[in-house]
Amino acid sequence: MYERGTTQGRLAGAASTGWVIVVLAFWIAFWWGLIVVFRINPDFLPMPGDVVARLVRLATHPVGEGPLHVHVWASFQRFVGGFAMAVALGVPLGFVMGYFRLLDWALTPLFELVRYIPPIAWAPFAILWFGANFGAQAFVIFISTLPPILISAYGAMRAVDPTLMAAARTLGAKPMTIILEVGIPSSIPVLIGGLRIGVATGWMALIAAEIVAGTGTRAGLGYLILVGQQTLQASTTIGAMVLIGALGWSFDVALRRLERAVQRWR
Amino acid sequence: MTATKILRLVVPCTALVLFALAWWAATDALRLVSPFVLPSPGDVLGGLARVSRGYMGSTLLDHLIASMSVMLSGFALALVIGIPLGVAMAWFPLVDRLFGPLVAVLRPIPPPAWIPLAILWFGIGLSGRTFIVFVAALVPVLVNSYVGVREVPQNVIAAARTLGANQRVLLTEVVLPAAAPVIFTGMRISVGVAWATIVAAELVVAERGFGFLIMSGYRNFEAEIMAGGMLIIAAIGALMNVAFLLVERRVLRWNAGDSRDV
Amino acid sequence: MSNSIVYRDVSMTFGRGASAVQALSATNFGIGDQEFLMIVGPSGCGKSTLLHITAGLLRPSTGEVLLDGKPVTGPGPDKALVFQNFSLFPWKTVWDNIEFGLRINGVDRADRSERVAKYIRLTGLAGFERHYPRQLSGGMQQRVALARSFVMRPRVLLMDEPFAALDAQNRTLMQEELVRIWSEQRAAVLFITHAVEEAVYLADRVIVMSRRPGTIKEVIDVNAATGPGHWRDRPLNDVASEPRFQELRHRVWDSVRSEITTHEDA
Repeated sequence: MYERGTTQGRLAGAASTGWVIVVLAFWIAFWWGLIVVFRINPDFLPMPGDVVARLVRLATHPVGEGPLHVHVWASFQRFVGGFAMAVALGVPLGFVMGYFRLLDWALTPLFELVRYIPPIAWAPFAILWFGANFGAQAFVIFISTLPPILISAYGAMRAVDPTLMAAARTLGAKPMTIILEVGIPSSIPVLIGGLRIGVATGWMALIAAEIVAGTGTRAGLGYLILVGQQTLQASTTIGAMVLIGALGWSFDVALRRLERAVQRWR
Repeated sequence: MTATKILRLVVPCTALVLFALAWWAATDALRLVSPFVLPSPGDVLGGLARVSRGYMGSTLLDHLIASMSVMLSGFALALVIGIPLGVAMAWFPLVDRLFGPLVAVLRPIPPPAWIPLAILWFGIGLSGRTFIVFVAALVPVLVNSYVGVREVPQNVIAAARTLGANQRVLLTEVVLPAAAPVIFTGMRISVGVAWATIVAAELVVAERGFGFLIMSGYRNFEAEIMAGGMLIIAAIGALMNVAFLLVERRVLRWNAGDSRDV
Repeated sequence: MSNSIVYRDVSMTFGRGASAVQALSATNFGIGDQEFLMIVGPSGCGKSTLLHITAGLLRPSTGEVLLDGKPVTGPGPDKALVFQNFSLFPWKTVWDNIEFGLRINGVDRADRSERVAKYIRLTGLAGFERHYPRQLSGGMQQRVALARSFVMRPRVLLMDEPFAALDAQNRTLMQEELVRIWSEQRAAVLFITHAVEEAVYLADRVIVMSRRPGTIKEVIDVNAATGPGHWRDRPLNDVASEPRFQELRHRVWDSVRSEITTHEDA
């Protein structure tokens, strides 16, 4: 659904932190000014302050199954569930496909067949198979994140220096030994890059899954967004969106740190 | 070498046939899985046929027009705003400093998260869905336009300046053509994202379109309709991708691979 | 011989305050009207900086460059620059690359075609007019770059290690081509190189620059050593074995080498 390969995180690179704060303050003032000048109904576009107040209120007052941390935790669990499945299947399969050409040739056409189905289009089947709750949501995340994770593991294995492989082989190593002892260690940086893309894709899919396939639950950030719309409370919707963006952004920053640390360690 | 070539052909075909056989065996021959849960290959073909004759009071063409018109208008809007804004941000530092932080803050919000807000603002009609597609499609074109312009080699710009190019000539005749491949890639990514997003939006609210179609299939317990709808969605996505690649290859002939001596 | 280019106290400092780096200390010299002037020096001695200042792409920190008595304020077609990596426009054909400068400077169509055709002939590019740069070898690409510069009939030709990316055979060929074209269309040439042999073979005068901050260390008059009939008018292979050529090459090399070794000691 969300193709990779573009440069990420490069915008506003030149500006200093101080300037960024000034500009963001300007945009928040612009938002505020819009409401005042055009007398916009706060049910449609709340004041910036209302959004913050709503988030604070949500933190203590339950909506659906509980206060804010319950929703964050519910989303996080689904995300980790689907993502962990994708890693558990995608990484070993990618490594093995990258090493054994026959397996590569056999499985690639199958993946090509399903490649163009947008992951969210699996949602109805996911609900059918697992019910409109944790299972369906985790499945949609799994389906979204499997391709980037598998492809990066595959690419990482293919990118291993062939002379290293040959050296191991002349020393009498068996294929599994080579994958474990040579392939995996030397492909970890590429793999972490792929996991980062997987996390970004999965986080997007989570929200889509919660909105589309979450009708059976009353918890999650996507649920909050929906509730805000259904109860004509835009501050809840926007507050949850801000939180989703902030969480997705911090995952990315954390993984980018890890990526850099691993590269330095090598 | 020839043995490898034969294997290269035989292995994928065998795998596909085995896969189809296993699917058929599980759903049809041995009935291990209920057709309500997983339709058989024959059912899927039947579903495709039924969908192509029309479903839920709309013909296939109606669904196609419903999905495509919204997708294309949102995508076009994203191009009209995203490309000039991305180029301007890359070319004029002041524009970058003004819009850069805004884009950086809005970008991590997943496009589907805009669906409820769009419904709240624009209702469940066309404009709401167009807005969602626009938001989703904007990011790749904007970011790629920005990066494409930023990555035009300094030497190429310097060469044009020493030949007497002014700012206008530099932008229109040097920077934009040089950035075109990256911008094109952004457009291709964007159209894929737009397609996925309109399907997602139609899963939530719509009275026509392919997302609506598969959701209706689910509500009516017709798994073959769901599978048929998914196949059509995938086929359209693949066709658009291929069309973009073809146009790209034609328009950007100078950039086409290692075609020495053509 | 009158000077076409005069450097008056030209110096360049990058950055400010504690992180400031002086790339070029105050430089004074002149280039004759149709003189072929080569500059050699260790990496980072400011020779490229000097060239970019002359082209008008950089503004000197102090002093000024005069072209025919008028200060250089910006880049323009009277100061053509040839780059090491060719810097052709990859989306334009050979013909369009060469025509570009003429077109944007308002030369009319008929005149344009005539001049482009002439330089395509002169650089041996006939038959390749409709090719894109990507389809050409390095040597051919550099011919296009030469034609693109010469077609503007510049007062001064600035060359930034133009042949450094070519292999030895192509480099020799291109040196001879350059001399041939330049003999037909005399202009002042400021040519930067790492290759001492190239400098001694082509130049009227060779300037050796010291390491950073660059200063003129030594000016070597090649014309005085060659006598009548310059080396560059004969093939390099014939010249290379002459004792006087070898002697001068040694002298220049010793001068450059002392700059490199003291640099490494530091």
